[in-house]
Amino acid sequence: MSAPPVLEVRGLTKRFRGLVALDGVDFAVPEGAICGLIGPNGAGKSTLFNLVTGFLPPSEGEIRFRGAPVTGWSPQQAGRSGIARAFQIARPFPGLTVRQNVRIGALFGRSGPRDVEGATDSALALLGIEDLADRPAEGLTVGHLRRLEVARALAARPLLLLADEPCAGLNPAETDAMIAALRRIRDGGVTIWLVEHDMRAVMGVCDRILVIAAGRAIAEGTPGEVAADPAVIAAYLGAAEESRGA
Amino acid sequence: MTIRIAAVLLLFAALAAAPAFVPPFEVRVLSLFCFWGALSLAWSILGGFAGYWSFGHTVFIGVGAFVPGLIVARLLDGGGAELMPLMVLAGGLVSAAFAAVIAWPLLRLRGIYFAIAMLGVAQVTGELSAAIEWIGGGIGLSLPDAAPAALAPEAFYHYVFVGLLALTVGVAAWVRGARFGQGLLAIREDEDTARMLAVPTEGYKIAALVLSAFLTGLLGATYGFSLGYITTDSVFRTDFSLNMIVHALLGGIGTVAGPLLGAAVMVVLTQVVLGEMLNLHLFATGALVVAMVLLAPQGLLGLWRRRARRGADGRPRP
Repeated sequence: MSAPPVLEVRGLTKRFRGLVALDGVDFAVPEGAICGLIGPNGAGKSTLFNLVTGFLPPSEGEIRFRGAPVTGWSPQQAGRSGIARAFQIARPFPGLTVRQNVRIGALFGRSGPRDVEGATDSALALLGIEDLADRPAEGLTVGHLRRLEVARALAARPLLLLADEPCAGLNPAETDAMIAALRRIRDGGVTIWLVEHDMRAVMGVCDRILVIAAGRAIAEGTPGEVAADPAVIAAYLGAAEESRGA
Repeated sequence: MTIRIAAVLLLFAALAAAPAFVPPFEVRVLSLFCFWGALSLAWSILGGFAGYWSFGHTVFIGVGAFVPGLIVARLLDGGGAELMPLMVLAGGLVSAAFAAVIAWPLLRLRGIYFAIAMLGVAQVTGELSAAIEWIGGGIGLSLPDAAPAALAPEAFYHYVFVGLLALTVGVAAWVRGARFGQGLLAIREDEDTARMLAVPTEGYKIAALVLSAFLTGLLGATYGFSLGYITTDSVFRTDFSLNMIVHALLGGIGTVAGPLLGAAVMVVLTQVVLGEMLNLHLFATGALVVAMVLLAPQGLLGLWRRRARRGADGRPRP
């Protein structure tokens, strides 16, 4: 219990002019866990990830990484310190091969340019895309793009992986493969925080879940606790069904 | 890989041996190839690798050439031929310093905005060099003949340009293989993602511009000496800026060999094939550029490799 959480946010608030995108959110991601972040579209999930990774400065509140205050840091500092992010819309470097993409993750990752080829190979293997290594990233299927996105983030040897809807657009078999890969990543010592719309995926894999709606945290707990929470059922589950087709 | 190194060594041996074996006109064509190949490759360190297209790189030729011009005219009373290597180095260093100063505001701009801003910087700097009396770009500045007595000037400048091409190829090949170069590629492909992957994007962009300006400045200073007399109009030339882009585009952007190939094709075309038809040559150059952009956006190398990677050419993103 003495080890500080890998990531902790307290009273995190983000305002865009008049609009409050995130309003006083508290959460802690314990080391070695897989945590979930869910909420209807527009709830502020991506904003929360943008604040944590330094893409946006928070209006108020505090972010701590491994116990140290890091509020207002830059994406580069976040990356070097050990936070990697897989974007919701996979953003591979289109003109480079799969291997070149993953290699750049390894080159600039937490441990710097040490054993770059080893980190690249193991990330490719863990996501099962070593056969595609020499293919250009452009023209990959959605399933392969998602795996490349996660592999590139993983090659940086992060301590915390933020995965923004890693299963979006995947068929059930691909979703199962992605979940299995996330478990293997966690078993390899990487803490994971993921945004996911696929309820089956979230409930099956997460240790703790934070639910936000309209910028506020409305529930937090184990998957069982969250699923039984009337506020969650009212605010999220109905909305999620409506937005599934989107 | 070893075959590639052997080919490069062979190319440079042939270039260096040329004055002893081929007639002066052909030596001049080869010198021009070295000059343009090195310029296009220097441009590519920023434009090809990092995807930041400069439309005003002639500013570094101009600054590079005016530095020795001013040293000779204002400090050395028109002499100092034996100091040419130091003055060329000074041209490169001042160009690099100039790039470092403009880098901070300009590299915040992306894509076409950066391209246009560079065009403006080149225009304004050229105008200032002509308007400020102390610089004297309107009237012009003389540079001493730096060729040693034992060598014809054409042969001497040919050797210097071969040496500068070798330097530029070496630097570009190193950058391409280094972590720095991989970071530049990441910036070209998607700058926001590069930031997230902890690529030090701001530092790398500045380093690429400064390095590119240093090499371009060395070439500009040497070009000034080879002319013997420089004015604003002879070194701050928009067509110089355009040629660098055209060569890189023609050969294959983002590679080391591409700009050299593009320079070779364009120099042969303009000097040898169309040398007799001066009116036609601008027209032919323009037509060729249009044809290349339409038919082979990856350049000749891309066409040859037949590994079409659509959209991966580092086009400026608006």
